[in-house]
Amino acid sequence: MADTQTILDKVTVIIRDLFDEYEGPVTMETTADDVPQWDSLSHVRLMVMIEMELGVHFSTSEMQSFRNLGDLVEAAAKQSG
Amino acid sequence: MTYRDLPWRPPLARDWAERMAEIEAVLSDGRAPDYATLKTLANQQLGMREELRVERAAKKLLKLDASDQAFAPVSLGLLGNRTLSYLPDPLAAAGLARGLAIASFEAPYDSVASFAFSPADCFGRSLDAVLVVLDETAFAGKRTLLDRAGEDAAIADAENLADALAEAARQKTGCPAIIATLPGAAQVSSAELATPGSSARFRHRVNLMLAEGAMEGRWLLWDQAALASRVGLETWLDPVRYHAAKIPFSVDVCPVAADNIASVLAAMKGKSARGVILDLDNTLWGGVIGDDGLAGIRLGQNSPEGEAFVAFQNFILGLRERGIVLAVCSKNTDEIAREPFRSHSEMVLKEDHIAVFQANWSDKATNIKSIAETLSLGLESFVFIDDNAAERERVRQELPLVSTIEIGDDPSFYIERIAQSGQFDHLPLNTEDISRAESYGGRAAAAEIRAKIGNYEDYLTSLEMRMTISPFDDVGRGRITQLINKSNQFNLTTRRYGEEDVRAIEEDPDQMGWQVRLQDKFAQHGMIGVVIVRKAPREWSIDSWLQSCRVLERGVEQCVMDRLFEAARDAGVARITALYVPTDRNKMVSDFYGRMGFEIAARNDDGSVAYVYDVAAYAPHKTFIDVEMQEKMEA
Repeated sequence: MADTQTILDKVTVIIRDLFDEYEGPVTMETTADDVPQWDSLSHVRLMVMIEMELGVHFSTSEMQSFRNLGDLVEAAAKQSG
Repeated sequence: MTYRDLPWRPPLARDWAERMAEIEAVLSDGRAPDYATLKTLANQQLGMREELRVERAAKKLLKLDASDQAFAPVSLGLLGNRTLSYLPDPLAAAGLARGLAIASFEAPYDSVASFAFSPADCFGRSLDAVLVVLDETAFAGKRTLLDRAGEDAAIADAENLADALAEAARQKTGCPAIIATLPGAAQVSSAELATPGSSARFRHRVNLMLAEGAMEGRWLLWDQAALASRVGLETWLDPVRYHAAKIPFSVDVCPVAADNIASVLAAMKGKSARGVILDLDNTLWGGVIGDDGLAGIRLGQNSPEGEAFVAFQNFILGLRERGIVLAVCSKNTDEIAREPFRSHSEMVLKEDHIAVFQANWSDKATNIKSIAETLSLGLESFVFIDDNAAERERVRQELPLVSTIEIGDDPSFYIERIAQSGQFDHLPLNTEDISRAESYGGRAAAAEIRAKIGNYEDYLTSLEMRMTISPFDDVGRGRITQLINKSNQFNLTTRRYGEEDVRAIEEDPDQMGWQVRLQDKFAQHGMIGVVIVRKAPREWSIDSWLQSCRVLERGVEQCVMDRLFEAARDAGVARITALYVPTDRNKMVSDFYGRMGFEIAARNDDGSVAYVYDVAAYAPHKTFIDVEMQEKMEA
């Protein structure tokens, strides 16, 4: 299983790129509510960017189950393991 | 590399990030960035991050005053029965790569029916086009398998909806609708097309119906189906998000979809390429003519490579048929470079297909500039095709406005890459488009004669020009509207009118619209001028005066002005007034009315200049054109 910190680092870069006005912390606990620019529109785009960058694919049910970035990172770690 | 990566675009430049940072700094200051630089940066193979930065730059650019920046503004309505919210940003970015500043306005979710069939206007503004992207569910009436009558009725319903949408776009937003074709459906059997009532067959029939409507000028097409099949339906559709986010195609194909839509808008705005400049060695044939000789170059003769070059030449000839002017730019000795055109039995392209032939040892950028000058076309009108990456790079640096396409190094791929680029995209063709290449060729020949003759009046006489002036009519309306909306340089007031406005002018007894056509011994130039006059009993005022820059300094304007004053005199009019409204494009006509003999009546605060000329005092010009006034010119 891939190192979750490495994955979180990659995801952080994408989040900083996509939500360029957000300067707060990006952690496993971060959710869409923490980031003003993170709306349903940019959410889809974020998922696509993360999938492409990490070479993973999230299923419909997986995506529904993410409560925070940590869940997403764990799911990605499992796939790239 | 896949189609989704826009492989025809130049590769990402090594200094992309630094140059983009400079553009971003300028935009953050609220200033307009350099047009060629930003266009060039946007028109490269962008990764996800670069795409994001270009989108942001485009959004900032859209906030600037349109007249402060050089990108052609396009306001686009988006109407769909799925969400199109993912399109505006990629569209703005893709627009920059084609010289457009595309501002999109999305209709509220699910307002298709109310826009089409009720007085409600979900846009509430005038637009340049409304892009309509519907999926099968929006079109589909109730169909039963094998029920042919039911299928016919569903197609009739679909056509009815398309007509209503196009009419609503015209009336509510004053613009045409661009309707998307439907991508293919899941194939249960290999007999889907032969199975009435099936999804696949229904979509095919809707697409054909949409194509017919486009040919009749009822709407324009965005051929989503063709693009989806190029990208691959598997990639195009994103079933997970189709159901989750109600999007018609996958978010990661948005950049290529946006590029494809932008090429339709570019064609609408007259931003498509008008000429192609071709290298010779290893572009039109295999090998180097100067080294290998006529017998040594690879062209046809059943060799796979030779046949690929023949196919490519046929493709280029096909572009010429669509009105694209052909030029050659090659590092060669002129006489040797022409040899294959004259003596190689497998050459498809002949010397007289080539409007300008520049074979010498000078720098290609210099030659391209001189080709553009000879043909009186801007550098932005040209695509440069060269197999040599170094030459392409050099031209990109020297002449960033010339489009260079990554054709790769295998002639078998040239056609596909050039077609994919959308640089030659066009709206449904009319016969005038088709005669255009001939006209440019004629003009180049005319320029040569002009150089030889010396005396300009003799030259004009030798052209044997014939002009017809006729009132606006059904036949001319499309081209009249096109000219009104495309002419920038020789345009005195730059007032834009849609097809409906033009029809209104035709029918209004207080207005007069003239369409002017010209031919000479070299070419049929088609419609090259439009004049609109508002008529009061004692005074006529020129609302619009515009001409195509294809035929300058031929005495066209003098001829038309003579006829206008004749008509005014016959109608008992005392004077004609006119207005010059300066833009950043029409300086060439800033003193047009002065040269015509008008007197300045007022210089207005907005920079415009009002002119007046007493009909009784009018002095006719010396002209060199036979003029025919057609139909009852009501005076």
